[in-house]
Amino acid sequence: MKKVLIVLMSLMLFALTGCGDKDYEIPLIIYDFEDLYMQDFEDLIYLADNYSEFHFVSYDSKNSQIIQNEIVSDVLLNDSNVIVVNPVDRLGVYPIIAKAKENDISIIFINREPIKEDLLLYDKLYYVGAKPEQSAEYQADIIIDLFGGNPYALNEFDLNEDNVIQCVILKGEPGHQDAEIRTENVIEELHNAGFEVEILTVEEAYFSQDLASQKMRDLLPLYGESMEIVIANNDAMAIGAINVLIEEGFFVDENLDESIDRETETWFPVVGIDGLPIAVELIEKGYLYGTVLNDSETMAQAINELAYLLVSGLDINDFSFVIEDNKYIWIDYKKIY
Amino acid sequence: MKPLRNFSIDKKLSLVVILLVFSALLFSSGFIYFRTYKTFESVVEDNSKEINKQIILNYESHFEEIREIGRYIEIETSKLDTANQTNLFSLYNSFATLNADIISISLVDDTGRVQATSYSSYVQNSYLTEHEWFIKAIENEGIYFFLMSPNKKVFLNTDEEVINVSKRIEFYADGEERVGVLLIELSTLKIDTLSKQSNLGEDGHIIIFNDQDELIYSSDSNCIDSTCLSNVLARDLIIGGKFVEINGTDMYMSINTIHGTRWRIATFINVEIISSSQFTLSMLLFYVFIITIVLSIVGTSILTKQITKPLNQLKTHMLEIQNSDHLYREVDIKGQKEVVILAQAYNDMIKEIRRLLDRLVEEQNEKRKTELIALQTQINPHFLYNTLDSIVWLAEQKDNEHVIEMVIALSRFFRISISRGKDVIPIEKEIQHAQYYIQIQQIRYSNKFDYTFDIDESILQYEVVKLILQPLIENAIQHGVHEEYKGQIHIKAYQENGFVNFEVSNNGYGLTKQKIEEIYEKIANDNHESVGLKNVVQRLKLYYGPTSGIEITSELDKNTTFKVYYPILKGEI
Repeated sequence: MKKVLIVLMSLMLFALTGCGDKDYEIPLIIYDFEDLYMQDFEDLIYLADNYSEFHFVSYDSKNSQIIQNEIVSDVLLNDSNVIVVNPVDRLGVYPIIAKAKENDISIIFINREPIKEDLLLYDKLYYVGAKPEQSAEYQADIIIDLFGGNPYALNEFDLNEDNVIQCVILKGEPGHQDAEIRTENVIEELHNAGFEVEILTVEEAYFSQDLASQKMRDLLPLYGESMEIVIANNDAMAIGAINVLIEEGFFVDENLDESIDRETETWFPVVGIDGLPIAVELIEKGYLYGTVLNDSETMAQAINELAYLLVSGLDINDFSFVIEDNKYIWIDYKKIY
Repeated sequence: MKPLRNFSIDKKLSLVVILLVFSALLFSSGFIYFRTYKTFESVVEDNSKEINKQIILNYESHFEEIREIGRYIEIETSKLDTANQTNLFSLYNSFATLNADIISISLVDDTGRVQATSYSSYVQNSYLTEHEWFIKAIENEGIYFFLMSPNKKVFLNTDEEVINVSKRIEFYADGEERVGVLLIELSTLKIDTLSKQSNLGEDGHIIIFNDQDELIYSSDSNCIDSTCLSNVLARDLIIGGKFVEINGTDMYMSINTIHGTRWRIATFINVEIISSSQFTLSMLLFYVFIITIVLSIVGTSILTKQITKPLNQLKTHMLEIQNSDHLYREVDIKGQKEVVILAQAYNDMIKEIRRLLDRLVEEQNEKRKTELIALQTQINPHFLYNTLDSIVWLAEQKDNEHVIEMVIALSRFFRISISRGKDVIPIEKEIQHAQYYIQIQQIRYSNKFDYTFDIDESILQYEVVKLILQPLIENAIQHGVHEEYKGQIHIKAYQENGFVNFEVSNNGYGLTKQKIEEIYEKIANDNHESVGLKNVVQRLKLYYGPTSGIEITSELDKNTTFKVYYPILKGEI
């Protein structure tokens, strides 16, 4: 009898010690594992986890808000008091917030920003991300730099020397927040800096590389002569454009070293946004002029530090990042060119 | 534990079997019930969630279709100037006409003025900028808002419910870029149609409600405003799934958001089948339970009867034997094989015990006989000494006649005593032996007593254990001969009722009853104190069994008789 009791006791003890702090799980609910950008971002979040107090556990919402709702409902039953959510539907997160509020759980939203009205529903909500307008501002900065910085005296990239930047814009999905904001703001920033811009055409390529190639092929006969720069809402479309421009002789790799020497070889300026690894590679090879990097690495650090503060119940004022309105942690983009 | 030990085997067996069967059944049926119930419940739950997803997908594709039209119109609008009213009208009107769900499409500028519309005639509402659809859209870029207009259309004063889909867009008016709101008025018919496409079971229904938990649509006629139970339950759960009861009907409620809108759909699916199957299952398990218990009770009692009945027979038989002295009866038992074998073994054992016991008794008797004979044959040395002393004295008196008589008697006496080592001699010899003895004693005691022999001639041929009479006579002389008067000793031998009787009486002082009792007691006592009389009786019993014995009668101062008797053996008659 005694032996049985001892065995039972030790089992219980084992079970109790089994749920120590090191096993503290923070659900990381990604909108879609198929998304390459989110894959990289997820890896960075794991890499930045230098804390022994918790570890992340990823969930795939499979690009369905319904699945994400289910995942959230399930993880709320666990004892984690912080969850990280990459929303599928920006408009659809308010029930998740309501659930979290009910269970007194903090949510760190990433990658897709919920609407402000929803973020105000509850005080333990945070958004770690970049201001979409800033990517456009930075893209404009790169363009300004390309054209010499002086709006009244453009350099040799003003091909027709009219002091006006003739541009082709490759826009993402119409109505998509990023597409609208990036398109609008890059032009606005150039205007603000005193540059005159002539938009030859705005082509909707839905953030797609293939669609961008197709649109580029169509517009080259019309605007090939007059355009001075291609501005794309993202890197994928920029790369799609570059592929066509290479075919059409806008890039000429004379020494066949698979890269372009901007000093000696023929090239054409294309700018993107996102800072995909392949885009960075193309910049190094001289094909892509510049891109704006969504600084996922810093975001990952911010997410980890914030999670640590929330899990440990520490003062949020000790956070080494700036929190705007007690909600927003804005991470600056990085210009690469 | 101790009381259990006192239970009989059949009670114990039945108890154990029933307990085992009961607990095993209870455990297994409980387990089956729980597992089946849980499995069934989760199947129904999954199924309900699946239906909910399907319904939502239907709604989402409907709304997505509207958004796509909106996007197309937005792009086309941005290409056309509102100055060109006919182009915009024909664009808007063609969509409103082609798509049955679209009632109207309009463009309102940031001041609330209608820039274009699919209506050919309309009423300009001056407070458009105060409408929720307008405010939401103008404040949030890039988002389509789906709002239920509860009372009327924006431009026509009718009571028909419509859904307002609005989005902030950019357009050109007279070459100038402007900001406005694109408004699509949607019919609610499609929502109703879609809700009826899924089988939700009896009383199953769907409700659609917005981010303020306000009821937008309900397929249930019992649920007409936000206070209805379905809406309250859905509001409390927010999202997810749960088993609920509505108007006494078991329902599975699942709530999800509709992508791209601020709306949620709650589906209520009839899941009465769970409780009904739960009942069926529990009844089934109950019957199985009862039948098995009954069968096991019957089976156990039959089985235990088969074992315990012969066992009880055996037990009774053994108790009988225990309580009676020599009942070596064999037991005859039929039934359970093991018990029959046990009974046989018991019989064998009893037989063996009987054999061993008989042998033991026999051996003991032999041993006793040998011992007693050894004792008996030791002739009292005093007698020999006294007799020889008497002979010497007679010789000194020159009483040759008596000397001769005595020496002859003594020699014959010894001859019979020895009898060639035989234990049993004819009564005739025994009498002779007694006569020689008493002859010697009479000479020794100088005729202080007289004696008579009264012998039944018919018994002379029978046999007797030797040296029975001599101790009796010795006893009679000792107690019956005195100085005062002449002793009289009578020796009588006769048969009566198959018994041989020897009586030796004297006319001594006699014995009190108490004294007689003492003598009996001494004889019966099995100690080592050897008395002549006791030796006689013991030998008689050894040879002739318990029916032989001694009887002492005495009349004080008159006469005292010692009678020994033993049965005549069958072979001798």
